[in-house]
Amino acid sequence: MSPAEAVRAEVDTLLALVRERYGGRLDAEQLAGVRTAIEGIVQAARALRAVRLANADEPAQPFAAYRAEP
Amino acid sequence: MTEDVVFTPLRQLADGIRARRLSPVALAETFLDRLERLGPRYNAVVTVTRARALEQARRAEAEIAAGRYRGPLHGIPYGAKDLLATSGGIPTTWGAAPFKDRCFDFDATAVLKLEDAGAVLCAKLAMVELAGGMGYRQPNAAFTGPGVNPWNREAWSGGSSSGSGSAVAAGLVPFAIGSETWGSILSPAGNCGLAGLRPTYGRVSRHGAMALCWTLDKLGPLALTADDCGLVLEAIAGRDPADPTTVDRPFRYDAGGPAGRRFRFGVLRGVTDGCEDAVRESFARSLDVLRGLGTVEEVALPDLPYDDITRTILFAEAASAFEDFIESGGIAGLTAPEDRYTAYARDAILAKDYLKALRLRGVMAREADRVLAPLDALVAPGRSTVAPRLGGEVRSAIRGTARDVMGAVGNGAGLPAVAVPNGFGERGLPTSLQFMGRAWEENTILAAARAYQSVTDWHRRHPADA
Repeated sequence: MSPAEAVRAEVDTLLALVRERYGGRLDAEQLAGVRTAIEGIVQAARALRAVRLANADEPAQPFAAYRAEP
Repeated sequence: MTEDVVFTPLRQLADGIRARRLSPVALAETFLDRLERLGPRYNAVVTVTRARALEQARRAEAEIAAGRYRGPLHGIPYGAKDLLATSGGIPTTWGAAPFKDRCFDFDATAVLKLEDAGAVLCAKLAMVELAGGMGYRQPNAAFTGPGVNPWNREAWSGGSSSGSGSAVAAGLVPFAIGSETWGSILSPAGNCGLAGLRPTYGRVSRHGAMALCWTLDKLGPLALTADDCGLVLEAIAGRDPADPTTVDRPFRYDAGGPAGRRFRFGVLRGVTDGCEDAVRESFARSLDVLRGLGTVEEVALPDLPYDDITRTILFAEAASAFEDFIESGGIAGLTAPEDRYTAYARDAILAKDYLKALRLRGVMAREADRVLAPLDALVAPGRSTVAPRLGGEVRSAIRGTARDVMGAVGNGAGLPAVAVPNGFGERGLPTSLQFMGRAWEENTILAAARAYQSVTDWHRRHPADA
């Protein structure tokens, strides 16, 4: 499968998910707009996946264990 | 009171108020009248808060007469982007038709802090619906209509703090509060020829502000000058237990600084790629000015998908923040046709990709800090184009139809930036220059912007239309 075909297949799969959830609300023009948006999401995701990170590279996200103080 | 006070920087207004040459009540009346008379021309206003403003102005006048002067914002009118909660039956609409009658019973922390500083809330200002988080592609994306630019009424005022930009540029309020997730302060500031300050993430409490993206949203001022922005930031900054992302780093605005200070500026390689010719020309002239204030050197960031990192975080968090509204079909009530369906696509973002973006965000933040550490600021055009036409398409890095590495890195890494006007381009519309600094270095970038404004006069020009 060529890279372009792989992208198309990923977009088709994700579009099927969105259509399953919301397809009843969307006309053909809106569905085409959703497809364009998903294409952008997939392109961005593939750019992210292409960057190698070390195992210890954590998400830049604060989380702290919680305990209510009396 | 005559309208001579319009387009007067805050420090001068404050001097007049403190010396009791200016009456806060008369000042409020002047700007309330302008908001009511001129606000509709620019689609700038959602609600004129006349009763609350006059009550606050009378209190300010009485306090000052009694010798209780609170500081430089005491008695100064302002407007707040309509995503900041306000009590007292004043609607908070988020710019969206489905919420146009919604009221809260509390005030956002930023509104309370400004009240504590003695500022006078005169208006809730128009904005792009849901701060632009649903994928809009056109200026007409608010139930109040497209934000109209006071420099050219065929052009957009910018998004998403559209009313905050046009109201200050048209002299309807001396300053306004806006919010930025990616570009929503710097864009209207640039489009409208204003100063706009995006503070460091965590500097200003978002309690009571509409959440679009919890890890990207910031509140900041739009005003006539960088100095004005510093005065406002001092009033709204600070830790707030109601917003756990705020940090315990008190901010004192340093308006002085060493005389004759020399700055070290950096310019990202290729930062003007994709900019309009007039934007590039204004930026080149600005660099000549900056070389008189210090040094300018080219710098580079490593090759990373900066726009994709910040875009993925933004889309995923916005989809989650508005999950109920999206899944219930509430978005069908939004104004821009594309806002009625685009958010459905965000169900296609995989959790693993969002986490990858968060992991890469850490790398991005460290690389940005490494590049910024020896510098006072990275400088760049504030926007790649002048304001688009009202009927045109909005090019946006958020959707991938424009490139904005400075915005992607600055917002993704939570860094402060201030935009100031630096010329004019097509259709008589302003261009802008941004200074972006290390985290918590608002005083440094404001000093640089003040130095630039001390030797230029773009900020003293105002729309003839207003």
